[in-house]
Amino acid sequence: MPDATAEQGRQRVVLTGLGAVSCIGVGAEELLQGLSQGRSGARPITAFDTAGFDHAVGCEVTDFDAGKHLRTLDPASLGRAARFSVAAARMAVADAGLTDAELAALPGLVSVGTTDGESRDLDRLVEQGLAGGPEAMDPEVAARASVASISAAIAREFGLADVEAVTVPTACAAGNYAIGNGFDAIRAGEVDFALCGGADAMCRKTFTGFYRLGTIAPEVCAPFDVDRSGILTGEGAGILVLESLESALRRGARIYAEVLGYGLNCDAHHPVAPHQESVADCMRLALEDAGVKPSEVDFISAHGTGTRANDVTEARAIRDVYGESPPRTVSVKSMLGHTMGAASALAAIGCVLAITRGFIPPTINHRTTDPEVALDCVPNEAVRADLRIVQNNGLAFGGNNSVVIFGRYDA
Amino acid sequence: MNQRTRRPAPVITSWETISPFGVGRAAFRDGILAGAAPEPVPPAGDQVPGISTRPVPDFDVRAVLGKKGTRSMNRVTGLTVATIRELLAGEPEAEESGQRRGTALVLGTTTGSAQSMMDFTHTSLTGKRPYHVDPAVFPNTVMNHSAGSAAIWYGLTGPNVTVAGGRAAGVLAFNYVRRLQVSGRARTVLCGAAEEYSTARAWLRRHSGTADGAAADEPTVLGEGCAMLRVEAEAERGLADVLAVRSGVFAAPEEAGRVLVASVRRALADAEVAPGDLWAVAADGPLDAGGGAAGAALDELLRETGARRISCVDRIGDTASAAGMFQVVSLLVHAESEPSDRPRIGLVTSVDRDGVAGCAVLSVRPTGGQAPTSRPA
Repeated sequence: MPDATAEQGRQRVVLTGLGAVSCIGVGAEELLQGLSQGRSGARPITAFDTAGFDHAVGCEVTDFDAGKHLRTLDPASLGRAARFSVAAARMAVADAGLTDAELAALPGLVSVGTTDGESRDLDRLVEQGLAGGPEAMDPEVAARASVASISAAIAREFGLADVEAVTVPTACAAGNYAIGNGFDAIRAGEVDFALCGGADAMCRKTFTGFYRLGTIAPEVCAPFDVDRSGILTGEGAGILVLESLESALRRGARIYAEVLGYGLNCDAHHPVAPHQESVADCMRLALEDAGVKPSEVDFISAHGTGTRANDVTEARAIRDVYGESPPRTVSVKSMLGHTMGAASALAAIGCVLAITRGFIPPTINHRTTDPEVALDCVPNEAVRADLRIVQNNGLAFGGNNSVVIFGRYDA
Repeated sequence: MNQRTRRPAPVITSWETISPFGVGRAAFRDGILAGAAPEPVPPAGDQVPGISTRPVPDFDVRAVLGKKGTRSMNRVTGLTVATIRELLAGEPEAEESGQRRGTALVLGTTTGSAQSMMDFTHTSLTGKRPYHVDPAVFPNTVMNHSAGSAAIWYGLTGPNVTVAGGRAAGVLAFNYVRRLQVSGRARTVLCGAAEEYSTARAWLRRHSGTADGAAADEPTVLGEGCAMLRVEAEAERGLADVLAVRSGVFAAPEEAGRVLVASVRRALADAEVAPGDLWAVAADGPLDAGGGAAGAALDELLRETGARRISCVDRIGDTASAAGMFQVVSLLVHAESEPSDRPRIGLVTSVDRDGVAGCAVLSVRPTGGQAPTSRPA
C-alpha cells in the first residue's frame, strides 16, 4: 500500500476481529461459509403477524440465543437490535484475541449504525397500546427501546468506562458511517481501538413501508437481474475491531485487512431516490482518501438492493467513476436480504473475508443481467480471486452515502 | 492520548434556536436572561399522566415554512429545517453561489420522531389492509429524515450525519464534528439537535421513567425545540472555541457521577485548563437514571472550582437530545450579556440514561470575537 498516511503522522488502521449475526449464519466463520456457498437466507417472516400481506418473505435471523453470547447484561434488558450488536461485539472481541480487562484498560470508541434501532419494540408497544390502552405498555420494553443502547450496551457489556459510545442512525449506510468514524478516530491517534459496525432487527414498520412503496420482492432478492422485483428486508449485526497497525503488531494480533479510507457525502436531492452524480462523487472521495486509483480496485460490494432505482443508478455511478470496464460488482443482499443499518457492516465483513480467503462472493438468484446495469455481478457462484483492494458501497434514505475501501495487509 | 496534541479547535461562529421561548435567538436570549420560565401547560393532544409540556409556542410547520414541500413534514423535521433557515438567514452567501456545497450537518436526536414511527405501525395494525399506509409519511419514520430533509432544503452536500445519543447527543455530535474537521472531511458544519413534543414521546418517557424506578406520578415537563450552531474548522472571528470533548459510559446509575467527573478531568487536561479556571458550567438537570449521582458529583466539582452554574432545563423543560445544544447556547447567552476582554472557559455536561456521560470544554472568546492570543483567565 502507498503509505502516505504515516508521513503525516497518522496511524494506519487495521481490522483484527470480526463478529456477525446474520440469517445465513451466526459468527464470521459461518457467514464466510454462507457467502462462499451462495446460501440464501430467505424464508417466511415470523417476526410479526403477516396476515393481510400478499407476500411476506424476509431474511430473518433464526436460531439466535443472545444468552449464549452475553456474559454481563441480561438479554431481557435489551431490544433485539442491541442483543445482535452486543453478541456480534462479543464475537469480534474474542476473534481479535482481546480480553475484557485488556479492552477496559484502553481508551476506545464504540460506533454502531442503525436504521430502525429498536423499532421492533416500538411496534410491540403500539400493539400493547391498542390492546389495553397506552397505560398498558410494558415499562421494560419502553425503557429498552432507546436507539443509543445499541452502542452503549456494548460498552456496558465489556465494562468499558473510558470509551465514547455513539449510535449513528444514518439509515441504510449507517454501518459504513460507523466504520468511517472509527477509522478517523484511530487514524488520528485519538483511541487505541474501535468496535464499529451496524445492527437492526426486522420490524413491521419498515417492512410495511417498503411494501407500500412496492419495493418488497415476493420471493427472492435478485439484484442486477432484468427480472428483479425488489428487496427482502432482513436483520442482523456486524461488528469489526479496528486498531492501529502499531497496536496490532505490538500484540501480535492476526490482521485481516487494512482500512485504507472512506468517503461520505449527501445527495441533497431526494428523500428516498439515490442521485447518480452524488453517489459517484462519494466513490471518488473514498478512493482519494484511500490513495487508490480506480484501476487498482479488484471488486466492489455494491449497495445493490435489488430495486431498479438503486441498481441502475448505482451501476451508472460506478461506470462514471470506473469507465466502461468496472471491476466485478456483487450484492451480498441477494443472500442476506437488506439488513438496513447492519447492511454495510455485514458487507464490510464479507469484503474482508473475501480478501483474506481469496474469493468473490456471488450475487445469487441471478438469471439475466439487466442491460442497463451491465456489470459482471459474479452470478450465483463464488469465484476464486486474488484480491488486493475492495470497495464497499452504502447508500441510504436521506441521500446519505458512504463508501469504505479495504486493502490486503501484507506483513 | 494524542488529543493532547494541540490542534486547531472547532470555532462556533453563530447560533440559532427555536425553543419554548419562541422562534429565534433573540427570544431565547431574552427568555434565559429574564430568569422567568414559561408556565408548563397540559399537552395539546392526549393527556399523559404526570407529563406537562413547554411547547414551542404557535409552531405550525406549514405556517412557518410555507406550503411547498411541507405537506408530509413532521414536527421534528420542521423544527430542524426552520432553525437552519434562521441560521442561514442574514448570511451573504446564496445557494446559487455553490458555497453551501460541502457544508456538513451533524444532527443529534433521541429516535427521530417516535410519533411518526409509532403512528405508521398503528395505521398498519388498524387499517383494512396492513399496507394501507401513506407512503408519503414513510420517510418520516427513518431517523435520519430530518438531517436529509435539511440537506435538500439548503443544498448541504457535505457529510450529513445523525447522532442518536439521547441527552448525550449534543456532546457526541460535537465530537463527530471535531473529528470530521480534524480529518479534513468538512470545514463548515451545522451542528445541532432537535426534539419534538409528542404523545408517543410522553408515553415512552413515562413508562421508561417507571422502569428506572421513578415514582409513578413524578411530574415531568417535556420541552421541545432545536438549537443549531455554525461550527468552522477555523475562524478569525467567532464566539467560542471547542477545546475538548470527552465522554464515557457507566454500567450502573450510581457510577454516573464517577464517569462524568472522569470525563471532565480528561477534557480539562486535553484543553490544558486547570479546574480552577472554569468560569461557568452548564449542566443538565438530574432528570434521568444516573442524573442524581451525576448531579452530586457535579456539585462537588463546582464547589472545588468555584465556577458558576448556568441552567436552562428549568426554563425550557427536558428537551432530551436537544438539551446539550441548548446548554451550549445558554452559556453563550450569559457570556454575551457580560462582556469581557478575556477568554472564559465554559463546561457543558450531559448524562444519558443509556449510559453515556460526557462533556465539552468551550473557550468563550473575548467580546468582539477575536481568536484568543493569551491563555484563558
